[in-house]
Amino acid sequence: MKKHTFAGGIHPLHGQHEGKAATRGKPVREFVSDSVCIPMDMHLGAPSKPLVRKGDHVKIGQVIGEAVGPRGIPVHASVSGLVTEVGLKQQLLSNASMCVTIQNDFADEWVECKGFGNVETAPADKIVPAILAAGICGMGGACFPTHAKLSPPSGKRIQTILLNGAECETFLTSDHRLMLETPGRVVDGLRAAMRALGVGRGVIAIEDNKPDAIDAMQRACRGREGVEVAVLKTKYPQGGEKQLIQAVTGREVPSGGLPMDVGVVVLNVGTAAAIADAVVDGKPLISRITTVTGAVREPSNLLLRIGTLFADAVSGCGGYDGEPGKIFAGGSMTGVCAPDDSVSMTKATNGIVVLTEKQARSQTQLPCIRCGRCVDACPAGLMPYRLMHLCVSGDLDQAVKENVKDCILCGSCSYICPAKRWLAASFKNAKEQLARRS
Amino acid sequence: MPKANKPSLRGVFLNGVFNENPTFRLVLGVCPTLASTTAALNGVGMGLAATFVLVGSNVVISLLRKFIPDKVRIPAFVVVICTFVTIVQMLMQAFLPPLYDALGIFIPLIVVNCIILARAEAFACKNGVLASGMDGLGMGLGFTLALTLIGSVRELIGSGSLFGMNLLGAAYEPMLLLVLAPGAFITFGLILGGINAITARSQKKKAAKGGASA
Amino acid sequence: MRLRLSTGPHLHATETTRSLMQDVLIALLPAAVAGIYLFGERAAVLLAVSVASAVLAEAAWQRLAGQPLQVRDLSAAVTGLLLGLNLPSSAPWWLAVVGSVFAIVVVKQLFGGIGHNFLNPALAARAVLLTSWPARMTTFFLPERLVEIGGASAAQFGDAVTSATPLAKGGTAIMDLLLGNVPGSIGEVCKVAILLGFAYLLVRGTIGFHIPVLFVGTVALMTWLLGGDPLVAVLSGGVLFGAVFMATDYTTNPMLARGQCVFAVGCGVIVTLIRQYGGYPEGVTYAILLMNVLTPLLDKWMKRRVYGEVKQHA
Repeated sequence: MKKHTFAGGIHPLHGQHEGKAATRGKPVREFVSDSVCIPMDMHLGAPSKPLVRKGDHVKIGQVIGEAVGPRGIPVHASVSGLVTEVGLKQQLLSNASMCVTIQNDFADEWVECKGFGNVETAPADKIVPAILAAGICGMGGACFPTHAKLSPPSGKRIQTILLNGAECETFLTSDHRLMLETPGRVVDGLRAAMRALGVGRGVIAIEDNKPDAIDAMQRACRGREGVEVAVLKTKYPQGGEKQLIQAVTGREVPSGGLPMDVGVVVLNVGTAAAIADAVVDGKPLISRITTVTGAVREPSNLLLRIGTLFADAVSGCGGYDGEPGKIFAGGSMTGVCAPDDSVSMTKATNGIVVLTEKQARSQTQLPCIRCGRCVDACPAGLMPYRLMHLCVSGDLDQAVKENVKDCILCGSCSYICPAKRWLAASFKNAKEQLARRS
Repeated sequence: MPKANKPSLRGVFLNGVFNENPTFRLVLGVCPTLASTTAALNGVGMGLAATFVLVGSNVVISLLRKFIPDKVRIPAFVVVICTFVTIVQMLMQAFLPPLYDALGIFIPLIVVNCIILARAEAFACKNGVLASGMDGLGMGLGFTLALTLIGSVRELIGSGSLFGMNLLGAAYEPMLLLVLAPGAFITFGLILGGINAITARSQKKKAAKGGASA
Repeated sequence: MRLRLSTGPHLHATETTRSLMQDVLIALLPAAVAGIYLFGERAAVLLAVSVASAVLAEAAWQRLAGQPLQVRDLSAAVTGLLLGLNLPSSAPWWLAVVGSVFAIVVVKQLFGGIGHNFLNPALAARAVLLTSWPARMTTFFLPERLVEIGGASAAQFGDAVTSATPLAKGGTAIMDLLLGNVPGSIGEVCKVAILLGFAYLLVRGTIGFHIPVLFVGTVALMTWLLGGDPLVAVLSGGVLFGAVFMATDYTTNPMLARGQCVFAVGCGVIVTLIRQYGGYPEGVTYAILLMNVLTPLLDKWMKRRVYGEVKQHA
């Protein structure tokens, strides 16, 4: 079988099975915590408006946050019980988020959900509203509202929907387990999205380090219309949207453009499964699979309710193994650091990784030796060593000329740099400055 | 120019030798600096020849400064400079033939030494005769000092001698590179860098002292 | 609980500047051992002196300049060893000291330290020594001992004899060239040892193969075109050593593979031109130095295609 790939890239933690060995064989198990704290700004777009007050009783699936604006999505209660607090709390974002805290009464009372029963018979024009009502946003980490992604402006023709099952990030195995355990849901979700957009081709792209998942998905695709599995080479950042499109379709998203400019919409496999739940059962997005691994006693793939605190998730894995030095949501390449373990996991939290104090120690930056490894690694075709010099010295105009805006912040350059220079960090900083400027 | 701002003759002289040393501060006249410093004596010879031309041309240009029309001043300066260069060339050929042979083409090339034209343009055509003569002397001696320094270093390491006297003994194997062209660049660069480093340090010290007392 | 905060990536490749330099040192080991075997303890002393003086010079400079001490990155040791291997075994110890100090202080530190030098320090120092003490640098002792396989060596050397040029004249057996039974610099005579080091660097991924291969290939092709024996041209002198250890110096060759190819071919062309038409018998040092100087321009000219770059239609 032909294996698809892109130019550049690296093999992070190659000698350690990308950090995935501890959890890739672990079946998903559900873990429900005593309370959840649900942020109203889990998606990209205006934060939702809380609809409940302290002392209210809520059922699972009840809308507790109202969608605001065209990219807003509703937020649902993920447990049933008493609302104990509605207020600002520090989460993973730089500013404090409006959150609703619910004490779980373990009654598991659901609101009434009504789905279409089957994705193939559901009316095509009702699929996107169902996705919006279910509060689905990109579950691979980007949190982009899915209904907006599936509503391209008129004039843009979508030919292909790509399901991203690459899971190239280190440590994470949540998508792997999802594809392995419920491949039918993933295909259902893909079909629903295809029907919503009237697209004839759906491709599920999976890296070749997950042969069992490839096998499972191929079997699930059999007999379904227009869907196929594409095998990718295991390489980071294979699951980067632009890299994935290049690998599978051979097309490049133009600089500054969007995937829809080349007729592609990319969805995460987890998002597809959530779409299937929303369309088939009418169930909102209230839980997801999260890989909890690293320095925890029992690394696992947990099915967690949205809003579960990191500390609770870790206790669901037997607690910390030694003193934690760093905790981040996502894999080790692009994961976002948590200030402490009282933050909540969100719809996009595909992993919670705990590093020991020793692993977390920052490394001293040494002078660049011009080895060129960052240049070879950059999937965007940039010259990181030069760009960093420009960004650090403050010459942002020249940095823009040398395409700093095309940096996808994958971190490959920083990972591979023998002098341990903070390349990606300097680009992130520069991009934030540029964003403030405009 | 207002009288109060006029620097003293001593100030003009010292300015040329140290503060605005043509070689190490203004980095002018680099071509003869590199070419004629293979030995200390050559450096002295070239320096003195240039000093003679500088003093002469500065004095004459200062005298004529009211009569030279602005538009043709550069050609006029060059004519004056050429006259003095020719004089020095003939004098040297007559009385110092070995030095004349050693410096060769670089004697007539004093005409295009930018120190001389620069001083004519920047100083002599705006100042009195005495001050201009002093400026020429200061600049010339500064140039001579610099050339002698570079020449000494190159001769000492590159030939093991100083002003022709063997200092380092027969066992010393001279580092040929220093009397070759690349050696000139390396020596010049190192001395220039060293002087800049020393100045920067002393200025920092001065600034720190000033800050403490203030 | 005190947690660290940073942007990703949170874990890094195990490769460090020090580990890369360590790999180069290991790769140089066979050449050094062969040199010491062939040329005796003189060679050992020279290598030790040049490494020690390079490291000391770097430490002293960083101390005096108030910079953090970075000799632990081993780059000074690499420079010292490269320089030592490029000296003839006849060289006096002070030649190694002068060369090492020049390489570290003038070529490397004065331009900003590791990563900022525009010339290969060891080669620049070698060029300085070659111009300053030409007789010292071109007096090559014949090996004291020969590497013999099955007692079949065409070379018949008695005690140390002085040879005029390191380049093999016609008639030298290829086997002797390969094993190092020829006069030359300490590290560059035993080609087998150099190839061993090359293989190690390739396996470790320290360097790519294209610079050495293109460099050597160009020399062979050019020599053949000009009517020489390509095999002898490649196996004699410092071509192999220069191509594997000198031209592959990260800092002084271009960043892009395309640029590196131009760099390597340029080196090969200049070496052959100097050998065939130049005033020096050997030209590897100057060839690589000249291409070092061209490197910033190559980096400037060679632009990378950025992902998603739209072709400009005028």
